[in-house]
Amino acid sequence: MKKQTIIAVLAATVAFAGQASAADMVFTSWGGTTQDAQKQHWADTFSTEGGVNVTQDGPTDYGKLKAMVESSNVAWDVVDVEGDYAVQAGNAGLLEKLDFSVIDKTKLDPRFVTDYSVGSFYYSFVIGCNKDAVDACPKSWADLFDLAKFPGKRTFYKWSAPGVIEAALLADGVAADKLYPLDLDRAFKKLDTIKSEIVWWDSGAQSQQLLASAEAPFGSFWNGRLTALAQTGVTVETSWTNNITAADALVVPKGTKNKEAAMKFIANATSDKAQAEFATMTGYAPINTDSPKLMDEDLRKTLPDQQAETQVNADMSYWAAHRDEIGTRWYAWQAK
Amino acid sequence: MVLSATTDGGQRSIRRNGSFGYVVPALLLIAFFFIIPVLMLLMRSVLEPTPGLQNYQELLGSTTYLRVFLNTFTVAGLVTVVAVVIGFPVAWLLAIMPDKWSRLVMAIIVLSMWTNLLARTYAWMVLLQRTGVVNKMLISLGIIDKPLALVNNLVGVTIGMTYIMLPFVILPLIGILKSIDPAILRAAALCGANKRQCFTRVLLPLSLPGIASGALMVFVMSLGYYVTPALLGGTSNMMLAELVAQFVQSLVNWGMGGAAALVLLLVTMVLYAIQLKFLNPNRVR
Repeated sequence: MKKQTIIAVLAATVAFAGQASAADMVFTSWGGTTQDAQKQHWADTFSTEGGVNVTQDGPTDYGKLKAMVESSNVAWDVVDVEGDYAVQAGNAGLLEKLDFSVIDKTKLDPRFVTDYSVGSFYYSFVIGCNKDAVDACPKSWADLFDLAKFPGKRTFYKWSAPGVIEAALLADGVAADKLYPLDLDRAFKKLDTIKSEIVWWDSGAQSQQLLASAEAPFGSFWNGRLTALAQTGVTVETSWTNNITAADALVVPKGTKNKEAAMKFIANATSDKAQAEFATMTGYAPINTDSPKLMDEDLRKTLPDQQAETQVNADMSYWAAHRDEIGTRWYAWQAK
Repeated sequence: MVLSATTDGGQRSIRRNGSFGYVVPALLLIAFFFIIPVLMLLMRSVLEPTPGLQNYQELLGSTTYLRVFLNTFTVAGLVTVVAVVIGFPVAWLLAIMPDKWSRLVMAIIVLSMWTNLLARTYAWMVLLQRTGVVNKMLISLGIIDKPLALVNNLVGVTIGMTYIMLPFVILPLIGILKSIDPAILRAAALCGANKRQCFTRVLLPLSLPGIASGALMVFVMSLGYYVTPALLGGTSNMMLAELVAQFVQSLVNWGMGGAAALVLLLVTMVLYAIQLKFLNPNRVR
C-alpha cells in the first residue's frame, strides 16, 4: 500500500510539473539587457492589456526546445531564436505555423518573415573598440584580422552563427556581394592567422565585460551591446564598415498549450509601438516598418538599418541549409 | 557489509518485516531519473540519425574528438596532482591542530564548498584576467612587466578546478591522518629517521589509502566537469562535458551527444570499478 501511495505522489508531482496554469504563458530569450527590454516593452505591456501573465525564462537552448517538443511537454510558448535556426527548426517540424490572421505581417520587414517565424529584432555585428585602452582602433574587418597593425587580444562570437565566417572572408578581400556560398576553407585559413589571439564571448554580457575591462580591447560585437556599454560611460568606438546584419526571430514550439496567447503575444511584440520602444532601449533595429516614425530622430541614426551603405546581409536561408555542416566544422576547428 | 548483516539475527528480522519498502523511493528515483534516461541516451546514440555505430566511429575516429578526450584526461590529471600536493599539508595541519583551530579552518573550507559554483568561477575570472587583480599586483610589484595569460587556457582551468576540488582531497585525508598514531612518527624519529624519511617512509605510506581515494574521487569528478572549464578554459582545451553540451545544445545532434556522454560514463565506471577493487578500505587493512 505504501508503495502505491509513493507512486501516486510521484505521478502527481510529474503531472503537476508538466502543467502550466491556463492564464500564464512563458517567454524565453537570451537574458541580459536584451531580455530586460523584451520583458519591459513586450511582455509587461501584454500582461497589462491582455490579462495574460507572461513568465520569463532563459536562456534559449535549442536542445531543450527539441526535447520539449519531442516529449510533448512544451513549457515555452514563445521563444526568441536566431534567424537561421528558425528556418531550420520550421523545416524540421519543431515549430507551430504562425497565425497571420492575428499577427499583421503587412507591416513587418519581409526579409525576416517565414511561415513559422517573424523577426524579433535586427542587429549588426560591428567592430567595437575600447578607445581608452589602445592607441588606435581597427576600422575594418581587415584591420581586426591584422595582428601586425593591431596586436593583442580580440574577441569574437563563440557559437557557430552568421557573422564571424563572413567577417573573415571580408577581411581576406572577398567582395561583399560574392560571400555566398561561403568559402569555408578560405575563411578558416584566415581565422587561423589570428586564432591564438582570439578570446571568445559566449554571451552579450560577457562581450561587454571583455571590452570594458580591456581584456580584449577590440573585437566583433552586437551593435546594441556597444550602445548599452557606451551608456555606462565606457569610451566605445564603433566602426560600421561592412557591418554584418542578422536577425533574431520569434517562434512558437510545436505542441504549446497556449497557442492562442502565444500568437497574440507575438502580434503585440512586433507591433510598431513595442518594436519602437524596444529599439530605443537596446539600440537594435525594429523589424516593424512603422516603428521608425515613432522614434527619436537622433537615436534613429545609431540603428543598424541606417548603416546600409556598406552593410552586408547574412544569408539566412544559406545558413539554415548549411547550419549543421558549418557548425560541426566550426567547433572542430575551435577545439584544435 | 550486507553479508555480515545476514548473519545478524536482529537485522535480518527487520528485513523480513519489510524494511525493503523504505528503499523503494530512492530506487524509483534512480530508475526514473537516471537509468531510464541513460538507456534512452544509449538508444539515441546508436539509432540517430540512422541505426548503427557510426556515431561512435566518428567520435573515436576523429583526431579532433580524440584531442578532447586527451584534454579531459590532462586537465583531470593535472587537477588531481596539484590538489593532492597542496591539499596534503592542509589536511596534515588540520589533523594535528588543536580542535578549536581546526574547526575554524574546516569551516572556511566547507563554507567555500557551499558558495555557489558559478559565483566562485566568475570570481576567478575577474581575478585571473589580463587586467585582473593577480596580474595588476604582479605588475605593480615589478615581478612581471606584461600581463600573464592566466585565463581562457589550461592554466585558468587548472587553477579554478583545483580550488573547487581541494576539499574533496582534504576532507577524506584528515580522517586517515588523524587515525595515524603520532607515536609512530616519534618512534621513527627516535630510531634515527630524519624528517624527510619520517615523511616518505612512514607518514606517506600510512596515508596512501586516503590519498588514493581522494585522488580518484577528484579525478573522476574532474572528468565530467562543465561550468569551470567552460568559463575559465579556451576552446582549444575543451573537455568532454563541453563537447556533450555542444552536441546537444548548439548542434542539436543528440546521437553524437549521447555517444560522447556514454563514453564519459563508461570511463568513469571503469575507474570506479578500479577503486572498488584496489582501494577497498576493508582490503587495505
